[in-house]
Amino acid sequence: MVAAFQRPGWYRAALGAVIAAALGFGLVVVLREISGLSAFQSEQTGYPQVIVPLIMAPFGFLLGIGCFDYWLRWAFGLPTIPEDHSSHGAHSWKDYFKVNTDHKVIGIQYICTTFVFFFIGGLAAMLIRAELAQPGTQIVGAGTFNSLFSVHAALMIFLFVIPVFAGIANYVLPLMIGAPDMAFPRLNALSFWMLPIAGLLFLGSFLAPGGAFDAGWTGYAPLSTGAPLGQSFFNLGVQFAGASSIATALNFLVTIITMRAPGMTFWRMPLLVWANLSTSLLVVAATPFIAGAQFMVFFDRILHTNFFQFGAGGDVISYQHIFWFYSHPAVYIMILPGFGIISEVISTHARKPIFGYRLMALALIGIIVLSYSVWAHHMFVAGMFSWLRVPMMLTTLLIAVPTGIKIFSWLGTLYFGKIHTKSTAMLFALAFIVTFTIGGISGVMLGMVPFDIHVSDTYFIVAHIHFVLFGGSVFTIFAGIYHWFPKMTGRMYDEKLGRVHFWGTLIGTWGTFIPMHWIGMDGMPRRVADYAAQFGNWNLLISCFAFMLGAVQLVFLYNMIVSWRFGPKAEANPWRANSIEWLVSSPPPIYNFDEIPRVVGGPYEFGIPGAQHAIMAGEGAEVPTGEPSVVGT
Amino acid sequence: MTAAVVALAAAISAVMLSINWDGAEDSTAAPKIDDLLNIAIVLSSIIFAIVVVALAYALYAFRAKPGDESDGEPIHGNTRLEITWTLIPTIIVLFSGGWSWKVLNEIEERTGHEMTVDVFSQQYAWSFGYPGKEYAYSEGVLHVPVNRQIVFKMHSQDVIHSFWVPQWRIKKDNVPGITTTAVVTPTKTGTFQLICTELCGFGHATMRAKVVVQSQSAFDKWVEGLKEKVPTPLMVSVKQDTETNPEPLERAEAE
Amino acid sequence: MESASVPLPHGAGGHAADSHHHGPPEANQSSRIDRQTLGILLFIVSEVMLFGAFFASYFFLRVVVNPTAWPPKPFELPVGVAGMNTAILVSSSFTIHYALEAIRKGNKQGMKLGLVLTWLLGLTFLFVQINEYVHIGFSARLDSFGSIFYSLTGLHGAHVFAGLMLLTFATIRAFRGHFDKDAEKHLGVEVPGIYWHFVDIMWIIVFATVYIL
Ligand code: HEA
Ligand code: HEA
Ligand code: CUA
Ligand SMILES: [Cu+2]
Repeated sequence: MVAAFQRPGWYRAALGAVIAAALGFGLVVVLREISGLSAFQSEQTGYPQVIVPLIMAPFGFLLGIGCFDYWLRWAFGLPTIPEDHSSHGAHSWKDYFKVNTDHKVIGIQYICTTFVFFFIGGLAAMLIRAELAQPGTQIVGAGTFNSLFSVHAALMIFLFVIPVFAGIANYVLPLMIGAPDMAFPRLNALSFWMLPIAGLLFLGSFLAPGGAFDAGWTGYAPLSTGAPLGQSFFNLGVQFAGASSIATALNFLVTIITMRAPGMTFWRMPLLVWANLSTSLLVVAATPFIAGAQFMVFFDRILHTNFFQFGAGGDVISYQHIFWFYSHPAVYIMILPGFGIISEVISTHARKPIFGYRLMALALIGIIVLSYSVWAHHMFVAGMFSWLRVPMMLTTLLIAVPTGIKIFSWLGTLYFGKIHTKSTAMLFALAFIVTFTIGGISGVMLGMVPFDIHVSDTYFIVAHIHFVLFGGSVFTIFAGIYHWFPKMTGRMYDEKLGRVHFWGTLIGTWGTFIPMHWIGMDGMPRRVADYAAQFGNWNLLISCFAFMLGAVQLVFLYNMIVSWRFGPKAEANPWRANSIEWLVSSPPPIYNFDEIPRVVGGPYEFGIPGAQHAIMAGEGAEVPTGEPSVVGT
Repeated sequence: MTAAVVALAAAISAVMLSINWDGAEDSTAAPKIDDLLNIAIVLSSIIFAIVVVALAYALYAFRAKPGDESDGEPIHGNTRLEITWTLIPTIIVLFSGGWSWKVLNEIEERTGHEMTVDVFSQQYAWSFGYPGKEYAYSEGVLHVPVNRQIVFKMHSQDVIHSFWVPQWRIKKDNVPGITTTAVVTPTKTGTFQLICTELCGFGHATMRAKVVVQSQSAFDKWVEGLKEKVPTPLMVSVKQDTETNPEPLERAEAE
Repeated sequence: MESASVPLPHGAGGHAADSHHHGPPEANQSSRIDRQTLGILLFIVSEVMLFGAFFASYFFLRVVVNPTAWPPKPFELPVGVAGMNTAILVSSSFTIHYALEAIRKGNKQGMKLGLVLTWLLGLTFLFVQINEYVHIGFSARLDSFGSIFYSLTGLHGAHVFAGLMLLTFATIRAFRGHFDKDAEKHLGVEVPGIYWHFVDIMWIIVFATVYIL
């Protein structure tokens, strides 16, 4: 038994968390007792006896589960356990519950964890829709309703869309560039283990006195600085999710820059790699801003500083500037990796090189550069400097241009191709093009200041959000999951169920979110538990579609679980794709490659006789003769 | 294909333009914003039609026959096409931006004989202050004269609220600590609803006020009949500011 | 900082399941910059942005809200003490530079001396800073000025602390004889060194805006 508590693992993690929490609790009580304060402070925002343990317990957990063992030995100059790679690969399902440094295992851990949060966030959405099915209050009160959509959005954004992309890329990206693993495998593991902590903090806030955080996912001050204890859980959860995503991004950047296989120049990288390169640049440089914003709110709440206290020289609007300086780029963090996935899927299933490969990559760079200059389009009616509106409008509208380049290039890729629609991944990719275009166009309409003045903070915004996030990001996620499912699990999923899921999702998305545009323009504000009777019928319809959308996700869940266990064995390359991850077995060998492959051409050399993207070990040393591999434009 | 795009765009535009999305137009800003929406609808229909028709045609013409395992043509790009689809959207968005800018300037232009009304918001109620010979307050109901430009000076006592009358198309946040402004010229008499559109707590959904637009003479009479209620400190300070100094001392929204 | 592991034995071909296959193949190095250095540089980018968020707040509080007196009336910032502290921190940049130069030439004693000096200077800085907090006479609740003063200097202080931890590790390892002349054998000092320079430069910026401007 004692040994179980000494080895890294769940026993030690639980022990670590408990000890750390107790330490924090004791510290607070003793210190307050010494300074003559009441030991248990219970004023609305304070609660140091809860907050300090809440900060410390995660570190105890991480220490216990084994994220720091190697580093600590290393730091103190002790002999580090020689790399025996025993923590590589997963031999049973139990290995997924341990700290593991294998990017493939971490990728799966990421994806499964984030989908758990997707379903919990979706469950919250179902409750939202149940309450909104009729005017008046039926299921939850106004306060709980506010918590529901805040937690819904926080989970979907910080624990589903952002990290699931990190998970997919974690799995396929090192394989794609011919690297044996990520650059910093232990940092990679730490990134993953910080995620469930963030999720538990968000969900745990339901237990806090005063209920879960309820100031929206945007947490505007001063509503958030005066909110009950639950808001602090949000402040802290965002720090863990943010740290996790910065660490992963850093890892991707270093991996992509320093670990590409010989011959893989930047212009030979698959677009998924480009997409993650640009996303990671965004993450590294933007995420600290939300950390900063949440720290300031946290300090205002706990230490009673005055960043946003208007009576004491604080500036209310500065919160929004700092928040959106991250959170606008964040929406591209939530879509660019998806663009990468779509490029891979479309090119493979249309059997054609990506149209305008270089411009596709440059468009990504264009989007990230522009995305830093548009944050205030969320603040057109916020009472910020009014001179800032027109410049922000112009940059906002211009983002349509690089995004349009991507849409049109995907269409161009389809032309003169041999389009196969037998894979659910391709169906999602094709539907994505249309659905995302709708969401993007409504975004451009929001960019036009006078129209935004009318529809800001109405259901039109909710419609836009879900068209770009559900019809955009989540469709790409599904495409990616279906596309790489055979690679990750070594099994094929059931295409029939895939189709049911696809059509249900497509109809559900349109049915749920299209009418939201209409009621928004017609005067229904967002974030309300109750609304005018005139919107009753539309909301009922929306709720019905939403339940259908929710139900059909269970088909997906069933398909994934059953196929993973019982699906027919997958070949190495069921889609006849070109990129390197398909040239190894399904699932890939434990160390990815026996020898690093050599890249001899572009990633999308469909239709060029004899052309190859990469030569695997043992395939012959000479570059094959054939048409020279050129890359577009 | 071009024909299909034109037909689809025309069809979508025709349907969408025939519907009055935004509701009644009861201020001078409303028709301008709705015209802008109509322009956006037409442009969007065109873009949407292009994408959908192109996709549908590709799916129709380039579907792989069953059993066909060959590859498509190795076309890597076409510079002329790529320039086209960079330039045309640029032109479209710059045009939309220019038009929006124009509309923005028009709806915010001061007429020179505008009237000021102070808006006070707090969790979860609205009050209004009418500067004049006698500064008067009303609670929960806002009266304004028709066909006269009103400058709303907005003040919040606690958290951010937002002032929205859908029929006027005008919305502005009330930010504690600063004064924000919105200008509206109502063009129709009647009763409307003022809706709070910024999440401000559990009472956010029900934070509404009645808006009465009436003729100038009826309005004047109504203001005269107002009895001064006990105002909050913020209201008093705003009132004093207005009386001693036409520009409020509080940091106004930077121009 | 995952450098220290011994170079891995190469896979000798064959399949993954082969019993004589002991580990992954060595990754191709596709850039001249090594992983650790690039990693710390990117980390610094993100740190700069974290400071950026607080500087943005500083800008709003000081320029946009524009209080009449900054710092508020009866209080004054001890520019002299902070200036002295600046000198201390700047000189620690020279000592860490000395340590790095030394190990590049293979002079292990010089490296140890440089590291210890840097460590002591850093610690002195922290002590002076804490002492300043104790005697400054206002708290973080003093208007927005107190908030931004404490958070900018405190954020920086936390970075000095983090830098000191890295230096502690490097020093321990230096005394255990872990570093040597070859470039890849002293990354463990090189990387904390880069971070330490960043901490120094950041202080100069914080000092210039908070105390002098
Ligand atoms: C994945 C997430 C995602 C993405 C990709 C986008 C993309 C865009 N968004 Fe969106 N947005 C959100 C997520 C996202 N958004 C969220 C979550 C909010 C609400 C936050 C909250 O308040 O809670 C929001 C809110 C939001 C607002 C604020 C509204 C308000 O609160 O008042 C605005 C305003 O400008 C806006 C604009 C845009 C624009 C211009 C784009 C552009 O990038 C879109 C570009 C794409 C296209 C235009 C389509 C393809 C292009 C073509 C086919 C070419 C031709 C097109 C033209 C010429 C028009 N968004
Ligand atoms: C990626 C992001 C994402 C995703 C995927 C979704 C998905 C959905 N969202 Fe959400 N949403 C946001 C991001 C997202 N949303 C954001 C950012 C906001 C703004 C919040 C704010 O104002 O602060 C928002 C707000 C928001 C609102 C507005 C609340 C308000 O303003 O009052 C509504 C209302 O209908 C809504 C509905 C839905 C629905 C029906 C789905 C559906 O697509 C969900 C589909 C359902 C499932 C996927 C799960 C099904 C589960 C089950 C059937 C139960 C089974 C359970 C287990 C197995 C445990 N969302
Ligand atoms: Cu006041 Cu919402
Ligand atoms: Cu945005």
